[in-house]
Amino acid sequence: MKFTRHIVSMCALAACLAFGATAYAAPSEATTELQQGVAKAPAVADLQKGDPGGTLTGTINDVPVSDAKSGLSLTDVANQVGQNKIGINFTWTLICGFLVMFMQAGFAMVESGLCRVKNSNHTYMMNFMVYACGLFAYWLIGFAIQMGGAAGNGNLGGLQPLVGEHTLSLFGRTWGLFGQNGMFLTGHNYDVGVMVIFLFQMVFMDTALTIVTGACAERWKFATFFVSSVLMGAFTYPLFGNWAWGGGWLAQLGTNVGLGKGYCDFAGSGVVHSVGGLSALACALIIGPRIGKFNRDGSSNPIIGHDVSAVMIGCFILAFGWFGFNPGSTLGASAAGCLRIGSVAVNTMLAGCTGTFGAILYMWALKGKPDASMSGNGLLAGLVAITAPSGFVNSVGSAIIGFVAGILVCLSVAFVENYMKVDDPVGAISVHGANGIWGVISVGLFADGKSNYGGSWNGVTGSVTGLFYGDASQLVAQLVGVATLVAVIFTITFVINWILDILLGQRVSIASEVEGLDIPEMGQLGYPEFVFKPEPEVLIAANQAAVA
Amino acid sequence: MAANKTQGQQVTIFMVGITAACAGLAYITSGLGKTALIVGVVLLALSFWKFYSIKSLEGKIALKSQPAISKLAGLAVNIIGWLVVLLGIHLTPSVGGRMVAAILGLAISFASIILILPTACNKNAIWKA
Repeated sequence: MKFTRHIVSMCALAACLAFGATAYAAPSEATTELQQGVAKAPAVADLQKGDPGGTLTGTINDVPVSDAKSGLSLTDVANQVGQNKIGINFTWTLICGFLVMFMQAGFAMVESGLCRVKNSNHTYMMNFMVYACGLFAYWLIGFAIQMGGAAGNGNLGGLQPLVGEHTLSLFGRTWGLFGQNGMFLTGHNYDVGVMVIFLFQMVFMDTALTIVTGACAERWKFATFFVSSVLMGAFTYPLFGNWAWGGGWLAQLGTNVGLGKGYCDFAGSGVVHSVGGLSALACALIIGPRIGKFNRDGSSNPIIGHDVSAVMIGCFILAFGWFGFNPGSTLGASAAGCLRIGSVAVNTMLAGCTGTFGAILYMWALKGKPDASMSGNGLLAGLVAITAPSGFVNSVGSAIIGFVAGILVCLSVAFVENYMKVDDPVGAISVHGANGIWGVISVGLFADGKSNYGGSWNGVTGSVTGLFYGDASQLVAQLVGVATLVAVIFTITFVINWILDILLGQRVSIASEVEGLDIPEMGQLGYPEFVFKPEPEVLIAANQAAVA
Repeated sequence: MAANKTQGQQVTIFMVGITAACAGLAYITSGLGKTALIVGVVLLALSFWKFYSIKSLEGKIALKSQPAISKLAGLAVNIIGWLVVLLGIHLTPSVGGRMVAAILGLAISFASIILILPTACNKNAIWKA
């Protein structure tokens, strides 16, 4: 009995020693190295002497420790690496979003500069208020429709609260239609990643909305513009945005029916500019041309803008903001191919440059003068056209896309005015509509298959590749996107604004239009101390005929 | 008539209405949400009705009535073009066949927005008078 008790005691002691030994295992190599690093890090006394060279600031001691007792661990370091990646991507995306927001000022200057002085206040105010109208509508419901089902973006931490895409089962496949999570950014959507993507997507949406104000300038009733913009920000733009970027059916064309990588639109030639340009066309058709724009025989009269300097400076502001538009669409500057931001930025610059050349050389060689407003439109056309392919093409492709855009905008302006008999004071339909479509198509032609954004795009493994580099199916996917823009988005906008025309009336009265919209609509002239030059005789005659 | 207080009031009611309606949609599962949705829709309808009642006070505009049937026909042709594109993707798996269907459908849609709708919208244009 005594012997048995002795054996049991010895076994218990051995078990305790073994457990204790396990609990007090020798530290791993990594932990040892981390602890040595902590020991070697600059002490507080060293830091108190100042660090003019920046060699002592930002060390191992700045990595947060989760357990003070056990000290810095490999897990702590890995967590910090993850935080850094997301922090870099957040910062990049937000700053790019701020640049895009500033483009509103550029649009305001370009549009007002191309309009007559008697409408300057009204034109500036439309561009000013469209920012608020669109932002509010997007916060209410637009963001939810567009991005409500967009969870899964690794660059911004996953965006996991955004799980809620309404789908349709058709032909044995599931197709995304619209999202539902994110209204008012409340509940689960009160999330740091969701806030970042909201801001970034919102400023893109506002760009699309502001395009319409240009085509409808000088005769659009301010109240109707207000309501129309809210509805476009709440429904029209977000719907196509979801289909292309929010997990919707256009992006799924690759996974569902094998069309390339699905509809690809890196920064929005289709989603932003074509939506804006085609909506502008729809509204301009409903509103009708300005008094005096067309003669009885159908020929058109030029209606000159009042401030070329505003146009030119506005174009530069837009070009500057475009550095946020395209490079920012990587949604990050760390991991998943984001280091291509330099390539995207250069592509953007090049296309703008060659777009300018395309327009100015066309006008100079064929019309005799290097027209300033068309040169500005050429720059913008090149930037619009490169927006979709900017993340997928090389510099030569960018230059070609931009040059073609510059010529296309000149041809389109003439076509829209002289053949379609649509009055577009600023060329918005041609710059954004025609060249937005060209940009979408050019992805299907010029994408070179060299980009690598995490090994796949729209859920299809591989790199976006166009016809010229071996994948014709990508061009088909782009054409499906164009068809959807031309048919669905145009029709939705046309119907909404047709109804608004019936209920509210889109157009101001003849008296207001002849006088200029500044006083009747806004209550104040844009330049109250200026003495205005009389309008050209052909416009005066047209005004008198309209009033009579 | 131009901009005036009534317009401003109706824009305000419209904004309140759409906000309430969206709040109602966001919280549709609750009783308060359903109430907000109804209130919002009512306010929207009210604002549109009031807008319509003051529309005639705007005065004569430089736009005559355009044929609605032609416009509807143009929109229908536009949608048909899109459906041709989608049908082509479903009916044939070959890239060439899908490309042909896409181009054909696009041509139909473009004909609508370039030809049919501008013709309809300019039929009684004021500059033709």
